[in-house]
Amino acid sequence: MSIETPVDQPEPPTNRPDPTHRMKEWFSRDYVRKIIAIFIVLTIIIIPIAWLVIHFLELSGGPASSIMEELETTIFVFTLVSAPLMAITAAVLVYSLFGWGSIKSEEPPMQENPAIRTNAVAVIGWTVATSLLAAFLVIWGMVELATITADSYGSTPASQQPNATKPIDVNVTGQQWVWTFEYPDQERIQSDVLVVPINTPIYFNVTSKDVIHSFWVVEMGVKIDANPGAVTNTGFTANKLGTFNIRCAELCGLHHAYMETNVQVVTQDQFDSWVREQGGKRTV
Amino acid sequence: MSQTAVIHEHKAVPQPKQHGKPGGFLAQANIFTGLIGGVVTAGVTYFIGDKLVPWGTQNADFSQVGLNALVFCTFVAWVIGFMAGIGAFAGPIRWALGHDLTHDDAEYMAGKGQGRMKYWKYTTDHKVVGIQYLVMALVLFGFGGFFAMLIRTELGATWREVFDPNFYNSLIGTHGIVMIIAMIIVVAGPLGNFIMPLMIGARDMAFPRLNALSFWLLFAAVPPLVLNLVLGGMRDGWTAYQPLGTQAPIGMIGYQVCIITFAFSTGIAGVNLITTIVTMRARGMTWARTPIFIIGTLAAAIMGLVWFPMFQYAQLLAASDKVIGTSFYIPQNGGSVWLYENLFWLLGHPEVYVIIVPATAGIMELMVVFLRKPLFSYKMAIVGFAGVVGISAVVWVHHMYMTGFAPQAGYPFMLSTELISIPFGFLVLVMLGTMWRGKAWNRLPMMIVYAVIFDKIIGGITGVYLSDVPVDQYMHGSMFVVAHFHYMLMGAGLFGAMAVIIYWFPKMTGRMFDERIGKIGFWTAFLAFQVTFLSMFVAGLQGMPRRVLQFDNAFEISNWISTIGAYFIGIGMLIFLYALITSWRNGKVAPSNPWGSKTLEWQTQTPVPLENFPVLPVVTSDPYGYGVPDPYLKVEEQLDKDDNETVGAR
Repeated sequence: MSIETPVDQPEPPTNRPDPTHRMKEWFSRDYVRKIIAIFIVLTIIIIPIAWLVIHFLELSGGPASSIMEELETTIFVFTLVSAPLMAITAAVLVYSLFGWGSIKSEEPPMQENPAIRTNAVAVIGWTVATSLLAAFLVIWGMVELATITADSYGSTPASQQPNATKPIDVNVTGQQWVWTFEYPDQERIQSDVLVVPINTPIYFNVTSKDVIHSFWVVEMGVKIDANPGAVTNTGFTANKLGTFNIRCAELCGLHHAYMETNVQVVTQDQFDSWVREQGGKRTV
Repeated sequence: MSQTAVIHEHKAVPQPKQHGKPGGFLAQANIFTGLIGGVVTAGVTYFIGDKLVPWGTQNADFSQVGLNALVFCTFVAWVIGFMAGIGAFAGPIRWALGHDLTHDDAEYMAGKGQGRMKYWKYTTDHKVVGIQYLVMALVLFGFGGFFAMLIRTELGATWREVFDPNFYNSLIGTHGIVMIIAMIIVVAGPLGNFIMPLMIGARDMAFPRLNALSFWLLFAAVPPLVLNLVLGGMRDGWTAYQPLGTQAPIGMIGYQVCIITFAFSTGIAGVNLITTIVTMRARGMTWARTPIFIIGTLAAAIMGLVWFPMFQYAQLLAASDKVIGTSFYIPQNGGSVWLYENLFWLLGHPEVYVIIVPATAGIMELMVVFLRKPLFSYKMAIVGFAGVVGISAVVWVHHMYMTGFAPQAGYPFMLSTELISIPFGFLVLVMLGTMWRGKAWNRLPMMIVYAVIFDKIIGGITGVYLSDVPVDQYMHGSMFVVAHFHYMLMGAGLFGAMAVIIYWFPKMTGRMFDERIGKIGFWTAFLAFQVTFLSMFVAGLQGMPRRVLQFDNAFEISNWISTIGAYFIGIGMLIFLYALITSWRNGKVAPSNPWGSKTLEWQTQTPVPLENFPVLPVVTSDPYGYGVPDPYLKVEEQLDKDDNETVGAR
């Protein structure tokens, strides 16, 4: 086609249909419209599950740290973005069962169905959609992982953390089947209940005396394995007063089920007096 | 070089001389001589070993190590004695002595003229091995299911300990590993052996004697595992993490010997499947004409062959820690606990796909038949399977996000884990596309396909949470994980296996499956399954750790619901089993092609004769030539034609 073609000349008459014709035709098909309707209804039904999941997560006392809050946001968002994919699969399933119908017979049915070998639009569309979804999940997950790593210990030593409040180190030792918490900066007092002040970063050096345990502070959303012969790190900043659960999340022998204790989040004053009672000295 | 054509003359190959009756020693050997051989060898080994161990002369540690060594040798002796007694070594020994097996011997070994006795012998016919695998899988499911009922009883009785902790922990471990073994063999065993050679138009597997060897090794591997419950248990879960495993009683040795033997069995079976599929397809069956179930079996065999040795190494090192006092995994002596975890999960994750992939491929095969449509986008299915096989090699660390062995590994392994959802999504699209605009033939296998896809939706979405490191920080090691993998392994894997077994049941047994009773059983199990595991998701979200026998009051209600659901799964499965057994014994006699399928296995007669086909088939098209031209497409083709005419006129 040369550029000198006069613009005012009318297009030669053809019976070529409008480029959007096929799409329009496809969307005008009865079954397509019904599947879209089922898809929308299912999406509306599935989306509230996001709130339900968060409700179950919070049944035991709710998020008590920023890590757990971020984690709940992640679960919420993941549920929302997966809902359409879930709904479209379920919609085809439902319509296949009840819409296109089924044949009840003893013999192989004579009636054959349309021989659809492939469909470029469906294949490319599905690939692009699932890849985009996966890409979103990966990027969100990585950003979130970086955030919670910064919120917890990560790989930065406690002394180099840029927080205004002086952080507290706690050495956690798992052994069959108890947790021991040692406060190295508070005259190495030891306790079998974790007591932490609110709004203060707590850093854990976790290890084990015998087998692998997993240190799980449930409502803080923090978990790290306690390995014999190695120290692992994690941490959190509690932002809610109260008593929360610590459980062992790795099978560690006979009484694994009973290897649980509490974390008590208290005010700074209460924490200081607790430390004095235990024979340590003030933190600040 | 000159271009001389070399014409090979047909020479008579010298045949070995027939000594005595066909079969020789093998005519006497069967499972009972195997059991006697195994028990006697084990007994003698124990007796001699007991004399040899210098009890009491060493330090305090030594008596335990000595006992472990003794038990290990006894179990290994059982395996060797059993294999000798059943005649596994007859072939090699006769070859070494210069009395190689003759054609008549080989036919005898394939079960010619032995009636039902051939199912109890070292039989090389792939159809016999397939049936043996099926029965073995059913027996293992029986054990595993019974253990599951005991576990749920304990968890439902929230007010007391029904079992002591040692027995309970052994139960969860044994339930896990028995079910994993059963799931690995349930599709690739019976169908990979019985149906696959028929489907590609071959007379048998590539290595018939290895085929028999792989089955009987599996058979020999199971008693040491199940016996652990009376030998003090293997109380560390199916993962048997170290160094916890070094504390366990001698039952742990049973687990280790079982895994080491089973890995040999899987490796041999994998080599056999791969060789058969690659080299023995019928004339004209190019890769593009190969049925998708064959591709799925090939994918699973490759993964099993490559990754099972990792599990074997893990257990060999663990056994050597226990038996000869090395310290691969004992940190006090310089070992590493993370070494075990890495070796274990290098198999541990691909193994999930070894379970899911053949079941998924089998489902695709039967959907085509019941929907009377070609498979939607065969190429996409191939890419999907290839992608799963490829990426499955690099996702194992997502089981170890919380171990702390490499905090930065979270990023790449989160990426690979999310990536594997893309090829898996391809497989879902192939299924949905095959359903698209199809009027389904309403038979039980097809109905199960709907159930399987439903379970895959839930299993897939919950898997999205678990692949994410931050969320895994909460979910890891909780009941949420348990519910998720039961959705994938049971909801998609086992139910899918049930669908494909019913589909090929007429070819394998010559009888039609009783769908009326089977339907009641399946739907009871399916609904109860949803109750059990949806409720388990709730317990997990609330923060219930897995593998516990007592727990907070907060989890009571969801555990009661799960327990009631689990009992109904048990009832449903028993009804299904009843349907299976009664139809096998006296069901309606099946015609050779009851479903009107186009794949090769249905074209031969039922029951299938010894060498499968009177004349080997030649394939001229892919097996998915179902369906009528798309009525909508007619309009579009007309449009295209108009387009072309317009262009031509211009």
